[in-house]
Amino acid sequence: MSSPAALLQSDSLGSRLASRGDLTTFFMQLAAEIGADSYMLVAIVHDQDRNDARIVSSNWIFDAIELIGKRLIAGLAQGPLTVAPGIRPKPLVAAAAPGAQGLITGEEARLLDVLGHAEVYSLRLNVGRQRLFALFSAAEAGKIDQPALMKAQLKCCYALSTIPQLIAAAAMQDPLSDRERECLFWVSEGKTTDEVAVILGVSSNTVNSYITHAIQKFAASNRAMAIATAIRSGII
Amino acid sequence: MKHADIKAAAEALFNEQRNPFGAFSISSETHHAVTIPDAVRRCRWIAVDINASAFGLYFVSPSPERARLVPSFDSDYPATAVATKFIAGANGEEMVRHSGTSTAPRWWADDGIADSDAVFQNLAWAERAAPLAPGTNGIAFPVHADRGHCGLVVFLGSTIALPEDTLYEIHARCFSLFAAVARIRPNDAGRMRSISKRELECLKLTANGNTSEEIARLLKLSVHTANQYLTQSTQKLNAVNRNQAVAKALRLGLIE
Repeated sequence: MSSPAALLQSDSLGSRLASRGDLTTFFMQLAAEIGADSYMLVAIVHDQDRNDARIVSSNWIFDAIELIGKRLIAGLAQGPLTVAPGIRPKPLVAAAAPGAQGLITGEEARLLDVLGHAEVYSLRLNVGRQRLFALFSAAEAGKIDQPALMKAQLKCCYALSTIPQLIAAAAMQDPLSDRERECLFWVSEGKTTDEVAVILGVSSNTVNSYITHAIQKFAASNRAMAIATAIRSGII
Repeated sequence: MKHADIKAAAEALFNEQRNPFGAFSISSETHHAVTIPDAVRRCRWIAVDINASAFGLYFVSPSPERARLVPSFDSDYPATAVATKFIAGANGEEMVRHSGTSTAPRWWADDGIADSDAVFQNLAWAERAAPLAPGTNGIAFPVHADRGHCGLVVFLGSTIALPEDTLYEIHARCFSLFAAVARIRPNDAGRMRSISKRELECLKLTANGNTSEEIARLLKLSVHTANQYLTQSTQKLNAVNRNQAVAKALRLGLIE
C-alpha cells in the first residue's frame, strides 16, 4: 500500500508554496523525510487567560484531535518541551510522560499512545513576526531523526515565509492597521494620548480613535488589556 | 593562514559544545553565562565554518515608527566595521520590512567578481536582495528570540561556502546565538528591585483587563491596597504608568 505522502508526491513543488494544497504536500513530504507519521501546524490564539490552538494544517485523525482536545494541544505546543530553532529538541514520550513533564496526565498519555503519537516533538516556528508551532509525532518512540528534525524546523520557517498572507489569515494574530499598531506601541511605552499625538503628528482625537479601534478589534476591555494581547501575540 | 588552519586553531581555542550542530541545549549553563565577547567568538566560529570574512549581529528596533537595524556587534568588535554603518543606515530598512513577514535568508552579490554569486543561486529557499553594504557579497539570516526580540545575523565575504544542506544548520546556530544575545541585552531586569507575588498578581489581572475595583474584589483586598500594589510595581519596573508597567512585565517575562 502506498503511503499518503507518496500519493501526494509531486515534482511541481519547488521552493515556493502557492496554496493550501502545497502546504499539505510540503508537510507530508517533510514528515516522511524525518521519520514522523503525523504533523500538526498550530497557531496559538490568546483569549484572556486561555490559550486556544487554531489548527492550520494537520494529518492527525479527526477523533484524535477531538479526544485529546485543543486545550491540551495548545498546552503541548507552548509547553516546556517546545524548542526554538537551534535548540536540540526533546520529545514527549507517551510511555514515560506521567509526572515526568507534568504536561499531561497518565490517561492523556495513554490516549496519545493508542492514537499513534507515542512520541511527540514540539517546534516553534518563526514566520517573520508571526509565531507558529509544529508538532511532529511517530507511532513508535525513537523513530524521528533528531538532526533531520532540527533542519526541518528551519525548512518549515522558510516554506511558511512564502505564504505570509495565508499564515496571517490562519493565525489571525495581527488584525491591526499600521497606525493602530504604532499608537498601541507608544501607549505601551507609557506615553499619554497627547504625547502620542505629538509623536505621530496627528490630533489627540485621532489617536484616541485608533486606540479605541485596536481595543475593539481585540475585544479588550481597556488599554492595558489591548497592550497585553498585542504583546502576547508578538504584534508590538 | 589557510582556511583549514584557521578552523583547526579556532577549534583548539574555543572547544565549544557543538552538539548536534553547534547549537547548545537550553538547559546548559553556557546559555545564561554568555557575554558579548562570548557571542562574538561564537559568531566568528560560524563565520569560519562558512568561510565568511566578516559578520555582524543586529537588532530590529522595536519601534514601528523607525524600522531600522541597531548594531549589537560585528567582526571588528569592540570597534565598528564600515559595513555596519551601511547596514544600520538606510540600506537596512528594506531588510527590516522583509524580516517582519519572512524568515527566509536573503543574499546579495555586489563584489563585481563573475560567478561569485553561484553559491547563493543554489540555495532553494533563500532570496536575492539589494546589497546591504555596497561592493560586498553576503547573506543575512532573520532571527527571532523570546519576548518579541527580532534581529539579523549578517555574513560578508567573496568566498562564502554554503551548501544547501548546511544552510539550515547555520541558520539554526544563528537563532541560538541571537537568543543568547537577546538575553544579555541590557534591560531593567538586573537593576530591578524584586517584585512581590501579590504585585505580580495585580499586574497580571490588569493585563487581563480588570480594573482596580475588580482586582480588589478578586483578590479580596481593598481598592486602596490594590492601587498601592500597582503603583509599587510600576515604580519597581521604572515605568511611568500602568500601561507601560504591564508592557514591561510581559516583555521581561514576569507575567505570561
